[in-house]
Amino acid sequence: MTVTLLSNLAFYIPELIAIITMCALLFMESAYGDHERRRTFVYVTGVIGLSLCLFSLFKNIPVESISIFAGSVVVDSFSTLMKITMVIGTLGTFYISHKSIDIYEEFKSEYLIMAVGVLVGGMLLASSNNLLTLYLGVETLSILSYVMTSLKRRDSHSSEAGIKYALYGGITAGVMLFGMSHLYGIFGSIQFGEIVNGMKAMQEFNIAVIISMLMFFVGIGYKIACFPFHMWSPDVYQGSPAPVTAFFAIVPKIAGIAVVARVTYQFFGAENVNTEMWMRLIQIIAALTMTVGNLSALNQKSVKRMLAFSSIGHVGLILMGVITFGEQGMGAILFYTLVYTFMTLGAFFVTTMVINRTGSDDAVYFKGLAKTHPILGFSMTIILFSLAGMPPFGGFIAKFNIIMAAVDKGLLTLALIAAINSVISLVYYLKLARTMILEDADGEQKIDSYSLTSRVYIIAMVIPIIFLGLFWNNIYNLYSSAKIYLN
Amino acid sequence: MITLKAYLFISLVLFVTGLVVMLSRKNIIAILLGIELILNAAALNFVAYSKYTAANLDGHIFALFIIVIAAAEAAVGLAIVIRFFQVKESVHIDEASDLREELTR
Repeated sequence: MTVTLLSNLAFYIPELIAIITMCALLFMESAYGDHERRRTFVYVTGVIGLSLCLFSLFKNIPVESISIFAGSVVVDSFSTLMKITMVIGTLGTFYISHKSIDIYEEFKSEYLIMAVGVLVGGMLLASSNNLLTLYLGVETLSILSYVMTSLKRRDSHSSEAGIKYALYGGITAGVMLFGMSHLYGIFGSIQFGEIVNGMKAMQEFNIAVIISMLMFFVGIGYKIACFPFHMWSPDVYQGSPAPVTAFFAIVPKIAGIAVVARVTYQFFGAENVNTEMWMRLIQIIAALTMTVGNLSALNQKSVKRMLAFSSIGHVGLILMGVITFGEQGMGAILFYTLVYTFMTLGAFFVTTMVINRTGSDDAVYFKGLAKTHPILGFSMTIILFSLAGMPPFGGFIAKFNIIMAAVDKGLLTLALIAAINSVISLVYYLKLARTMILEDADGEQKIDSYSLTSRVYIIAMVIPIIFLGLFWNNIYNLYSSAKIYLN
Repeated sequence: MITLKAYLFISLVLFVTGLVVMLSRKNIIAILLGIELILNAAALNFVAYSKYTAANLDGHIFALFIIVIAAAEAAVGLAIVIRFFQVKESVHIDEASDLREELTR
C-alpha cells in the first residue's frame, strides 16, 4: 500500500515542481532579506520553476485517465490541459507584476510566492476526485487569494477588498462544507466514485441530494463568480493591485471551471434521477450569469471593474459549454479558457500600463492610447474585439464552438441568449476601443515602465489570439480528444 | 442513547446561528466568529455521520482537516482585519464601503 502510494508520486511531478518552486521562493525571500538583487533572483527562480512545471505537464499529457493516492486525485488529459492553461496564466502575470508599480517593490517576491501557492491549490482542485481534496484545493486557493488581495499595505481599497473577499469566501466555504457533510451522510463516502454509484442506485428524485448539491455548488460557484455569488468579484477586482486582479481573473476561475466540469460530468454525465434538475439549474445559472455580467459591465467607469463584469459574462458562456457534455463541449471549454487566458493577460497588461502612468484605472485615462502608444493601443483594440467575439480572432472561434456545442445539444434558448449577450458585450468593449482610437490624449503621456520587453510581451499576447482565430483546427482537435476520468 | 437526529439538529442550529450572526452583526470579528460556527456545524455533521451511517473513518479525517483549515482561515482573516483596522481605525463592516459602482453619465 505504502509503496503504491509512493510510486503514485511519479504522476504528480508537475505539482511537486510547483510546490518545490514555492518553497524555494519562500526560502530566497527570507534568506536574501531586503537585497536589491534579490528580486531578480526570485523572478528567475519563479520563471524557471514554472517553465519546468509547464514542460513536465506537456510531456506527460496522459492518454488514459488514472486515479492516484487511493483515488483522491485523478490525472486525466482534461485536468492536465487545464493545468497547462493555469501555468501559462501564472507565468504571464509574473511579467505584469514585474512591470506594475501597483505592487510595492518589497512585496513583489511575496506576490510570486503566493501566486505559485494559489496555482498549486488550483492544480489540486482541477484534479480532485473526492470531497476532501476538493475542499483542500478550494481553501488553498482561497486563503492565499485573501492575502494577495490585501497585498497593498496602508491602502484602504486593497484592505477593504481583502475583507470582503475573506468574508464572502468564509461564508461560501462554510455552506459548501455543510452541503458536503450531508452528501457524505447520504452516500456514506467522500469519494466521487461512490457518490456517483449511490446516485445511480437511487430510484426516485431526492430533494435532500439536490439541496446538498446546491450547497456544495455555492462554494465552487463563488470561486468562478457565477450569478448569485458574483457580488464580491467587482469589488475585489477593483480593490486589488492590477497584477493580482489579472491573476484572479485567470487561475482561480479556470480551476473552478475545471471542477464544475468534472463534477457535472462525473455526477450527472450518466443519466440518473437528479440529472434533469441539475441540468436545468446550470442552464438558468449560465443564462443569468451571462446577462447580469454583460449588463452590469455597461457604463462602468473603472476598467478593472468592467473587466470583472466581462469575465463574469465569459464564465456564463463557459458554464453553457459545461452542460453540453460530450467531447465537443469539453473541447470548447478548454479552447475558451486558453483564448480567455491570453485575452485577459493582454487586457490587464495594458490596464497596468495605464495605471502606472496615472495611478487610476478610469476609462478616461485610456484616451488616445492608440496615438501615443500605437502598439499598446492597437493590441488592446484587437484584444477587445476578440473579447467581444469578433472574427477573425480567437474569441470568435471560442464563442462559436461553445454556441455550436449548445445548439447540437438542443439548448437553443441558451444559445440565443449567448448570441444576444455577445451583442451587448460589443457595446462596452467598442466604447473603450473608441476612447483609445478616436479621442485625443490630453497632456503628457509617457509611460516610464514601458520598455522594449513590454512591447514584446503585448505582441506575444496578441499573436496567439490571432493565431487561434485562424488556425484553430489542430488545437481544437487535441482539446476535443481530452478525457475526463470516469469511474 | 443519543440518536443521529440529535446531532443533526445541533449542527443545524449551529449552522443557522452562524448565518444569523453573519447577517446581523456589524463587527467584522463577530462575522468571523459566525464563519467558525458554520465550519464547526459541518465538522460535527461529518463526525456524527461517520459514527452512525457510514462505515468508514472518512468523516473523522474530514473533521480534522476542517479544524486545521479553519485555524488557517481565522489567522489570515484576523491579519486582514488588523490591516483594515490600521487604515480605517475601525472594525465596523459599514466602513468597508469605498469600493462601489461608479457609472459614467
